[in-house]
Amino acid sequence: MESITVIIKTSKGMKEYTYEGNLNIPVTTLLERINVKHDIKIHYSSSCLQGLCGSCSMIINGLPKLACKTFVNEEATTKKMHKITIEPLSKFHVVKDLVVDRTSMFENIKNSRQWLEEESRINQDNLEFEYEASQCYGAILPVTSSKISKQESNMDKLKFLKENYSNHFYNDCVKSLACENICPMNIQTQRAISIMNRHSIWKFHKLLKK
Amino acid sequence: MVKEIIVIGAGLAGLTCSVKSASKNMHVKLFSPAHSERSQSVMAMGGINAALNTKGEDDSVNEHYTDTINAGQHINNHNAVEKLTNDAPEIIDWLSKLGTSFTRDDDGNVDVRYFGGQKKMRTAYAGARTGKQILTAINTECRKWEYKDKIKRYVGWRFLSLILDDDKVCRGVVMINENTEEIRDFYADFVVIASGGMNKVFGKISGSLHNDGFVSGKLLHQGIELANMEMIQYHPTTIETPVKRMLITEAARGEGGKLYTLRNGEKWYFMEEWYPEQGALMPRDVVSRSIYRVCHEDDMGIDGENKVYLDLTHLDEKTVKTKLDEVYDVCMNYLNLDPTREPIPVYPGVHYFMGGIRTDDAHKTNIRNLFAIGECSSQYHGANRLGGNSLLGAIHGGWVVADQLEEISCENNSSEEYEILNYEYEAYENWKELQKEANNISSYEIEEEIANIMNRTMGIYRTESELKEGLNKLDSLETIHVNSHGCYYDYILLKSLTDIAKAMLSSALARKESRGAHQRLDYPETNEEYLKTTVISFDNDELKITFNDTEERMSW
Repeated sequence: MESITVIIKTSKGMKEYTYEGNLNIPVTTLLERINVKHDIKIHYSSSCLQGLCGSCSMIINGLPKLACKTFVNEEATTKKMHKITIEPLSKFHVVKDLVVDRTSMFENIKNSRQWLEEESRINQDNLEFEYEASQCYGAILPVTSSKISKQESNMDKLKFLKENYSNHFYNDCVKSLACENICPMNIQTQRAISIMNRHSIWKFHKLLKK
Repeated sequence: MVKEIIVIGAGLAGLTCSVKSASKNMHVKLFSPAHSERSQSVMAMGGINAALNTKGEDDSVNEHYTDTINAGQHINNHNAVEKLTNDAPEIIDWLSKLGTSFTRDDDGNVDVRYFGGQKKMRTAYAGARTGKQILTAINTECRKWEYKDKIKRYVGWRFLSLILDDDKVCRGVVMINENTEEIRDFYADFVVIASGGMNKVFGKISGSLHNDGFVSGKLLHQGIELANMEMIQYHPTTIETPVKRMLITEAARGEGGKLYTLRNGEKWYFMEEWYPEQGALMPRDVVSRSIYRVCHEDDMGIDGENKVYLDLTHLDEKTVKTKLDEVYDVCMNYLNLDPTREPIPVYPGVHYFMGGIRTDDAHKTNIRNLFAIGECSSQYHGANRLGGNSLLGAIHGGWVVADQLEEISCENNSSEEYEILNYEYEAYENWKELQKEANNISSYEIEEEIANIMNRTMGIYRTESELKEGLNKLDSLETIHVNSHGCYYDYILLKSLTDIAKAMLSSALARKESRGAHQRLDYPETNEEYLKTTVISFDNDELKITFNDTEERMSW
């Protein structure tokens, strides 16, 4: 039976709880047990509890992580001396305790218009990449971008996509690889971007020149 | 006139219905507690059934139909299953065209594999994460319609009640915003419920926390009939972790995984011995009962505990790490076990609800203008569901309903005022008052008690005395004053869970036979009299049960 200090930082301030028990548990289970033991409700988002849905993203010991895949014993004993700090994600509006509103992200994805206007064709050689990109918890990676470049025939849409793509990926990405370090699905984002660059940008240019 | 549709739930069923309705020029309001990426649908790994017949096995839609009915022990709605299996190949085609990254065979066809209860290779899949891959494709399509203002999403909203007029016709819904606690009414020509299974009555099961069963319980209270509530699927292979019991997909056995226990120190492949033809790929209820028998009757569980081994060590390492990578990850992360080297200790766990809101082959409920689709509906799977038929059923429900909405004419909504909104306001204020009382019992305690009752009485085998005892205990919970830690939803959820739990126990009591997932120790035989749908509803505050014809259509 080991004991650790759990520090929950929210907009209401900082609270410390003591947890005693098995440390070989994910942070979601830790939060659940703290709630029951102290008969309180620290609000946090969770759904699948096994790393499939991306609900429980939060900042654990300073880094954004999926709480259900992050184990307390690794965080609290080896990295910090019997302490673990949990905060809400910092880039979004905090709704309650550890719950954030990520609507802005989904709005941005919607407005980037990453969909095919026509039926998708099978690209056997691209299947693996499409599968990997579709694993994204927010489906942020424009999995359809390579499909679009191969199939899309609407010129206005292509023009829009080209500008959008230049602004958000081609010009702005500084390739620090930080995104690969924290992606909970281990998606090789850099590889994805370079594949997209290859498929998209030059293809767009060619198409638009025609 | 553009038809207005309200969809409750944004998993695969709700998404499909929304996208299909939008493409038919209807307006959709799509409500969900969280974004679609968080729904239980993304957890479905194994696959989706369709008789594509690409493996030279002479598969057919008829055989898919027969296998589904046999697995469901003949209390499925036969007409519904006929449509389901007929439409399956077209659904796969549709999903492909939306861009689902299905795994392909060497000829470029959607690959299919073996799954439980089916002798033909019929289960299409996308790597190890079929549900997630399909959801990404439909969700992308949904964004297109959101952008075109055909679908409007309301995320963070929970269902409170239906708005019914004096003729018991559904006119809309009252919803609550979980973040702001704003309570609001929304009106539409049709309402489609796609709220998923009733997981929370059992505590934490293999599926998502979101699918707690709250909506089904509320609907029951408002006069909506539920059906086959006793039919609860125990998935044969779940693992015990500190988090919850997690699922090991049937695909593990589909790819050649074997079940064994140790007898006199030697591996005993009990499924192969008892069922030489299909072995570990028998329907789920049969496999679960077999594991139960090994552990409880033969007393041969591994190390004297309730578990047997699921062995993948003889499979090609690449198969495990690519086609079953989810199994690999779950075992490594939560058991610290490498399934390519060691067998996985498994035991059956609650996984799926065949029953739910009573629906006919058109997905109509007993309330006019109200439909139900996906796991919350009840017509496809009878007494036991085939693996690979749940994704299919979810998507098919959305299809079937969207098609009908286009056809059914609807009169203009009157601007009547409905009492229900005031009722919900008052209920909320009452709760606030109640929370001021000291000495209320914690909602966590009651949740746990309900789960204990259900796990004890609604196991793989059931008896009258246990079921009755369970019902008494549930009754005693109803008078308790609850402290829900400042969370209104947690408070109203308890009432709903208690109602659902009672409906399940009462249905199990009434069906005095053993069939599929419903096994009674005191009535071990299957009885022809019960080739019926169990229907349960509230009648003057009392639960009333009838047994109806499985193909019965709603009157509207």
